[in-house]
Amino acid sequence: MNEKVSARTLAPVTWCPGCTNFLVLSAIQKFIEQQMQNGKKKEEFGIVSGIGCHAKIFDYLDLPGINTLHGRVVPTCMGLKLAKPELNVLGFSGDGDAYAEGMEHLIHMARYNSDFKYFVHNNQVFALTLGQPTPTTEIGYTDKTNPEGVKLQPFNPIKLLLAAGASFVARVDCDQNQIKEVLEEAIKHRGFAFIEILQPCLIFHNYREYKNRLYDLQKERHDKTNLGLALAKADEFDYDSKTGRIPIGIFYQKERKTFEELKLNK
Amino acid sequence: MRENILIGGSAGQGPNILASLISKGLIDKGFFVFSSREYESRVRGGHNFNMITFSDEPVYSNSAKVDILIALDENTEGIHQERLNKNGIILKGSSDNIFYAGRIFKILELNFKILDSEIKKLDNYEQNLIHATEGYNSEKRKFLVENKRGEEKIKIMNGNEAISEGAILSGVEFYYSYPMTPATGVLTELSQKQKDGKHITIELEGEISCINAAIGSSIAGAKAMVGTSGGGFDLMTESLSLAGMAEVPLVIYLSQRPGPSTGLATYTGQGDLNVALHSGHGEFNRIVIAPGDPLEAIEKTSEIFYFTQRYKIPGILMSDKHLVESYYSFTGEPRVTYSEKSIKWPARYNSYESGENKIATEDPKIVNKNVENRILISKRLQEEIEKFQSFKLYGKKDSENLIISWGSTKGAILDAIKEKDCRFLQIIYLEPFSNKIKNELKNAKKIIVVENNGTSPLSSLITKKTGYLIDDKNKILKYDGRPFLFEELSNEIDRRIK
Repeated sequence: MNEKVSARTLAPVTWCPGCTNFLVLSAIQKFIEQQMQNGKKKEEFGIVSGIGCHAKIFDYLDLPGINTLHGRVVPTCMGLKLAKPELNVLGFSGDGDAYAEGMEHLIHMARYNSDFKYFVHNNQVFALTLGQPTPTTEIGYTDKTNPEGVKLQPFNPIKLLLAAGASFVARVDCDQNQIKEVLEEAIKHRGFAFIEILQPCLIFHNYREYKNRLYDLQKERHDKTNLGLALAKADEFDYDSKTGRIPIGIFYQKERKTFEELKLNK
Repeated sequence: MRENILIGGSAGQGPNILASLISKGLIDKGFFVFSSREYESRVRGGHNFNMITFSDEPVYSNSAKVDILIALDENTEGIHQERLNKNGIILKGSSDNIFYAGRIFKILELNFKILDSEIKKLDNYEQNLIHATEGYNSEKRKFLVENKRGEEKIKIMNGNEAISEGAILSGVEFYYSYPMTPATGVLTELSQKQKDGKHITIELEGEISCINAAIGSSIAGAKAMVGTSGGGFDLMTESLSLAGMAEVPLVIYLSQRPGPSTGLATYTGQGDLNVALHSGHGEFNRIVIAPGDPLEAIEKTSEIFYFTQRYKIPGILMSDKHLVESYYSFTGEPRVTYSEKSIKWPARYNSYESGENKIATEDPKIVNKNVENRILISKRLQEEIEKFQSFKLYGKKDSENLIISWGSTKGAILDAIKEKDCRFLQIIYLEPFSNKIKNELKNAKKIIVVENNGTSPLSSLITKKTGYLIDDKNKILKYDGRPFLFEELSNEIDRRIK
């Protein structure tokens, strides 16, 4: 047992003060360090991030991998996992990355079921380019490029991923313990795990009231093997409404053969 | 001697199988064979044809004239009649390709045992054998051809098989591809050969996914390759730039067909030289290699694996429909270059400019260092390519007429210059461009550039790299989607050197 392990680099963090990404970093860091204390080595992990605020996590985690292009995290994770099936591959994307530029890859990954864990930092805005709307931005949101406000309804990524056949679909609040707990479940899951983190950007969104609307699916004994129920739960929050309950936790989990098992005959 | 067989029919009638059977019979008899195909973008119907040219000396192109015309359908005779030589013969009256195989084996006095063993590899052997035998017995005609060649074994191969073979010999582990003519052949070939477990082919939802998955596999330490044609290559170019920045070895196979846009999907052309040389934003290193025949394709594929690994750069291997789908016959063995892997897990990579531990940086000092390092790598790469066969010279050594070309036009040029006062410079490495090429241009009174495109990007490249201007009237360009035919190119060259 090595108590003095660290999964952090020495890079100074450049997120805004109070950014919820600190909590994500901290959760992932704790998880990795715990794994390392249990004998795992850094090279047994591979991380991939996209472009946007979330992607800075690559600079702060001292793990091998690549900070790749905007939107291309998903296929990169898959290529890495195929070539090194023994790795624990963790992918990180923003909502722009996952739902705009990279949506094509995400939908198909639900079908491929490559065995990596994928976090979408959903701050519901293109933050790093200073506030343009993404596919999950709420109706009425204004910025310099949309002075009249966003008129399109947002995607519901949970519903989309469930419909596309993803084998593990979860949503968490930006809470250290919750992220870590779901990651611990996800890492045991054999297949593609989709985990969305709700973290509306502090700079560009002025609402925080969603917090008291959250409830934990697992505490309410949600049957996560039932796709119909999962879809019903996914429908409870449309990423726009200002009232009503917002379910968090694991919506759906059902293992099937992974892409690597099917392709590599292992 | 050059003898030419044309097989015409509609898609689905099996002219390719017939062409392959005849080629095998000819090779067995010691003939050199060049066999190409022209087909429309449709699955059934229309008019497709295969051309086989054979000779007792090496042959790399087809002719405008036809000695034996095989009509699998009623349209063929009308379409190709005017190409038939005065004493040429026509085989018609059936739509069964195997029946025709029997007939032609008799006419050319080829070994029926070869036909028998080849049709054994197809479905419905017993039925086919009956048809082949009937065909063989039905013919009384003879088409006498002399063969003065010795016993040296001739091999037959198309570009698809060669590039795949080169990739396998180079230790490719992952081949990612989205179907697109004419790149699909390598995907098919590698898929058929993946049984040994050393490499696998993976088809994803698009070219962007393919190249990024390949980058993922490459950083894990695997040898990865992607294959596509022009449109798919365009989609990949953002990630080409990523491979350049992150220093990830990657082989990109770019198989050309005429563009722009969807262009002529099933025809040939060389319109993508500039996109291979200049695509991708920012300044980064790359290597661009274009072999001119299958034997070269095996060798150059192994060289591009070598350079991409050694310098951790992306490499673009260029071909076109004519090279990959035509069958070439040759003697001799390829010289394969061994490439050691340069990437070891664990390591970190970044699409941003990055400093220590590949952490993103905006520090001007580090940025300068990175840019200068990339320039340094380009100089080392340039130095090393000079030790490789990055260009080749053929023809009369002291001739003042110099023909320059690249890629699949090599075949028709070699055939055309045989009896002429010409030298031929084949440029194989387009980037880096050998510094020695300029010397070869010095003694030329007339420089002629031959390309399968309309604007001659090779001429611009030569001017940029050597300072020599190519006179417009000395550019022999063909841009109708068809390859150069022997007589056509020969006449074009004569007009310029007389």
